[in-house]
Amino acid sequence: MSMTARARPISPHLQIYRWTITMTMSIFHRATGIANYAGMALLAIWLVAAASGQGALTAVNFIYGSWFGQLVLFGFTWSLCHHMLGGLRHFVWDTTVMMGPGRREALAWATIIGSVLLTLLIWTVFVWVG
Amino acid sequence: MRETVITQDVIANPRSRYGNAPASTRHFITQRVTGAINIVFLGLLLYVVVTLAGQDRVDMVAVLGNGVVGIPLAILICVAAVHMRNGMRDTLEDYVAGRMYRLLMLLNTLFCLVVALAGAGAVLKLVFWG
Repeated sequence: MSMTARARPISPHLQIYRWTITMTMSIFHRATGIANYAGMALLAIWLVAAASGQGALTAVNFIYGSWFGQLVLFGFTWSLCHHMLGGLRHFVWDTTVMMGPGRREALAWATIIGSVLLTLLIWTVFVWVG
Repeated sequence: MRETVITQDVIANPRSRYGNAPASTRHFITQRVTGAINIVFLGLLLYVVVTLAGQDRVDMVAVLGNGVVGIPLAILICVAAVHMRNGMRDTLEDYVAGRMYRLLMLLNTLFCLVVALAGAGAVLKLVFWG
C-alpha cells in the first residue's frame, strides 16, 4: 500500500470557522461605522461650500451630482442605514433579549435586509421617482 | 494608556484590575446616548438633503438659515462627531497600542473636531449671517 502524498497538517486558524451571518454583520457594523466617519466629511464640505459662496457650492453640486458622486452618496445612504439598524440591534441586545442561536441570526438577517430595503425605499421615493 | 505587561502573577491575583473601569463605562453610555440621538440626526439629515440636494445658495440659506432647522442641525453634527470619535477609539484599541495608538487617537480627535467645527460652523454662519 502506497502512502498518498498530502500536506502536513497545520495549526487551525480563522479558515476553519464556518462563516456566520452574525459575524458578517459585526464586521459590517464596524466597516459602515468607518465609512460614515469618512462620509461626514462630505456633509461638512457641502455645508462649508454653501456657507462660503455660490461658486464653491456649484462646484460641490457638480461633483456630488456626477454619476460617481451619486454612486458614493448611494453607498453612504446604505452605510448610514445599516449602521443605524446595527445600532438598534445593539440596543435590543443591551436588554439581554434575542441572544439565542435562532433569534440572533434572525436579527442579523433583519439588519442587512432592512438596510438594503430602507436604502432602496429612500432613493426610489426621493431620487428616482420624486 | 500605558502598556502594562500581563504576567501569570497578574492573572493569578484576584485583585488585578484590567483597563479603566469608569472611563470604559462612560464610553459605553456615551456611545449609546449619542447613537440614539443620531437617529434624530439621520431624520433631519434626510429632510435637509432631500430638500436641498443640488440647490443654489439662496435655497440653502432659506432652509438652513432658519434657526429652527439650522441650530438643531449644528448641535446634532457635534453629537455625531462625539459618536465618531468614540467609535474610532474602539477600532484603534483593537488593532494598535502604545505610541501608535496615541498618535492615531490624536489624529482621530483632530478629524472629528474639524468635521464638527466646519459642519456646525458653516450651518451657524448660514443661520446668523446668511
